[in-house]
Amino acid sequence: MKKIIAISLSLVLIIASVTSCENELPTFFKYTAYEFSTLDSDGGTWQPILFSSATDIAVAPPAAVGSPAYQAELATLKTATQNLTNKQREAITYWTNNPVLRWNEIALELAAKYNLIPPPNPDGTYTLPSAANPAGPPPFPFAHPPYTSRMLAYLSVAQYDGLITAWHYKYAYNRPAPYITDASIEYAYTKNSLPAYPSDGAVIAIVSRDILKAMFPLEHDYLNARAEEHVSSLMWSGSNTTSDIEAGTAIATAVKTAALARASTDKMGAAQTPKPVSDQIKQEAFDRFGWSWDNQETPVRPVGLTPRFGQVNMWNVPDVVAVRPVPPPAPGSAEFERDAKELRDIAKNLTTEQRKIANWWSDGLGTYTPPGHWNRRTKEYIVKYNMNPLRAARTFAYLNMAVMDAGVACWDAKYYYHYPRPIQTMNGFKTILGTPNFPSYTSGHSTFSGAAAEVLAYIFPQEASAVRAWAIEAAESRIYGGIHYRFDSEAGLTQGRAVAAYTIARAQADGADD
Amino acid sequence: MKKILLLQACCIGLVTTVVAQTYTDAIMMKKKEICFAMMYDQGSWDEYWEGTNLISNANIGTFTRTTYMPMIAYGITNKLNVLLSTPYVSTKSDGGQLAGVKGFQDVNLALKYEAIKKDFGKHRVSALAVAQFGTPMSNYLSDYMPYSLGLGTQELTGRVIGQYEFNKMIYVRATAAYVWRGQTEVERPYYYNNGSYYTTFMDVPSAVNYQAVLGGWALKHNLRIEASYSTLNCIDGDDIRRWNMPQPTNKFEVTQAGFFAQYYFKSIQSIKGFSLMASYNQVLEGRNMGKATGVGGGITYQFTF
Repeated sequence: MKKIIAISLSLVLIIASVTSCENELPTFFKYTAYEFSTLDSDGGTWQPILFSSATDIAVAPPAAVGSPAYQAELATLKTATQNLTNKQREAITYWTNNPVLRWNEIALELAAKYNLIPPPNPDGTYTLPSAANPAGPPPFPFAHPPYTSRMLAYLSVAQYDGLITAWHYKYAYNRPAPYITDASIEYAYTKNSLPAYPSDGAVIAIVSRDILKAMFPLEHDYLNARAEEHVSSLMWSGSNTTSDIEAGTAIATAVKTAALARASTDKMGAAQTPKPVSDQIKQEAFDRFGWSWDNQETPVRPVGLTPRFGQVNMWNVPDVVAVRPVPPPAPGSAEFERDAKELRDIAKNLTTEQRKIANWWSDGLGTYTPPGHWNRRTKEYIVKYNMNPLRAARTFAYLNMAVMDAGVACWDAKYYYHYPRPIQTMNGFKTILGTPNFPSYTSGHSTFSGAAAEVLAYIFPQEASAVRAWAIEAAESRIYGGIHYRFDSEAGLTQGRAVAAYTIARAQADGADD
Repeated sequence: MKKILLLQACCIGLVTTVVAQTYTDAIMMKKKEICFAMMYDQGSWDEYWEGTNLISNANIGTFTRTTYMPMIAYGITNKLNVLLSTPYVSTKSDGGQLAGVKGFQDVNLALKYEAIKKDFGKHRVSALAVAQFGTPMSNYLSDYMPYSLGLGTQELTGRVIGQYEFNKMIYVRATAAYVWRGQTEVERPYYYNNGSYYTTFMDVPSAVNYQAVLGGWALKHNLRIEASYSTLNCIDGDDIRRWNMPQPTNKFEVTQAGFFAQYYFKSIQSIKGFSLMASYNQVLEGRNMGKATGVGGGITYQFTF
């Protein structure tokens, strides 16, 4: 009997010790509303991306503070802030006073949801996702790294332009926050002197919803619901009255229209070529260099991923050839053999640390991709440095323009050089990461990361050495994973940095640094 | 060694062969008896269930998992046994370019208690309870399915076993178990599981396991043969997404049939104490796992301390 008691006791102890190791698993970034480090009252003078200036979009002046119409709005708002349900309180806490970050997170989640490669059909053919038939199968889009980089660029640019416009009219019309006019209205976030009209929150909610709806056509219901909750939370939190929100919505709609007009003509529609074009691109590379890349899957994918993404309009690089790297070493050359041997040596003696780095940065199918990884880190820095929504949007806009431009530049090199992957040049070579469906040189991860790190080093100079070290680690990770030669990674980092130089030059001239 | 079944049934790549019965059978070591066992099994599949949809993938081809498992069982008393095992696993596939892995998987410690043993003439009823704890032996990566060695999490299993033996010749046995599983630490900082997860930890779904066995003794009680039917179902979890890799958060389910035989060399003085085992298993139905066929064998040596 004593034994049984002892055994039961030890079992209870084991259960207790095991369950105490359980972690709560976060499904979004845990930050709360915070005091902004600056308000950037001159933000309306900054140079937008899609417009010539903030005044391109006209916003009518608001009703006077003392007008009966506005007083009625205030009364409605006051009611909305009272007797909140738990769900409404949760929404206030979730959206915070910098909801740019939340919409970025929603975008990353949709990227991960749609980052699934089309499967083969039973007869060995492949059906590609089609914007004309988004339900598929396969569903549209396949949110691969180029697609995701472009999606994030449009989202961030539209948010940024919308907020520059909102900032201009906020300080032009100077309607105080509701709780300043009516002290009995309770404000859920940290108080500041930012004028309320037009609502920056509404700009973010509506422009983000509409850009993401265009990028993820199967998610309209989900995005409408998220935006509806976000806009409602602007009232529950006492942030904005109806006319603030309406003015913000109008700005968002105008910006969305301009952004999607650009998107419709940026040549993304031609990035995924038919097979004859793909074959021609490959033949041209072979004629030029004497090598070409082949997909190694079974059944073979007839066309690589977006062979013409390298011709999509760039944001800040005037000509993609300006950032095209020198040719890679020919297969069989001494330089090639040196880097190929390194891959075989690593595969043979992979350390736990190398394996961890490979997986940490893998960001492969089913994830938010390398652009998403850098957005996630950027979000964390934005909170660390208490950026206001306008600064946050600017940070994401330059980051994501650089990241997309890096993608375009990288894809130009990939299909210009059409360089074979390690599993193609080394018979029987095994990897711990899946080899993607596009040529090797330059490494996409390295190019994205080289560009992202430089933009972040410019915006967060205190973090420069950390972000640059991450970029190098991301580039190394592909070597540890067995899917890139060292020369792919090094050329990618250099190329990404070269792209970022154009982005940073534009950022330095937009007025925000003054 | 049904532990192997549990772990393996819950991983797409894992073999489901059962080479020994110790964790789930009604056999007890007497006080100070000790049994050493070495078991081997190999399971392979060329089709797997993506969710509930059975597919093949030429980039995996035929997947093979090989397990070597040393084990010790010891009789603390006639009514209480302790069991310790630690499998060595290797995985590979003949399609695609992903590298297989090998290494020690999890160490498992179990206590088996015989609560009831009653004879009614030539018939016998017995009831047992098993508590089992398993934890990874190394820092193997669970998030590399189907190649990963195991689920990379701590497991706590509570099992009850009931057996009725007729005439000391034929028996029926039923077992029910709940397998509580913790979290596994992976190496990527983000994953998708019907939504974003910003963490390197994954919840591994717990599972329930049932088994029915019809067995008998032959050749003057030197040969034991069994036919089994078992199910294991995770209580929650997500499905493998279309043409995507499995991950430890998946909802694994399996139904399988198995055959098992063990021959005891009790009557041959020079090798008294030894036995040989053989097994064959076939997965019949599943979810998020391979449709595996497994064969296994083993040797045991038993003596009194």
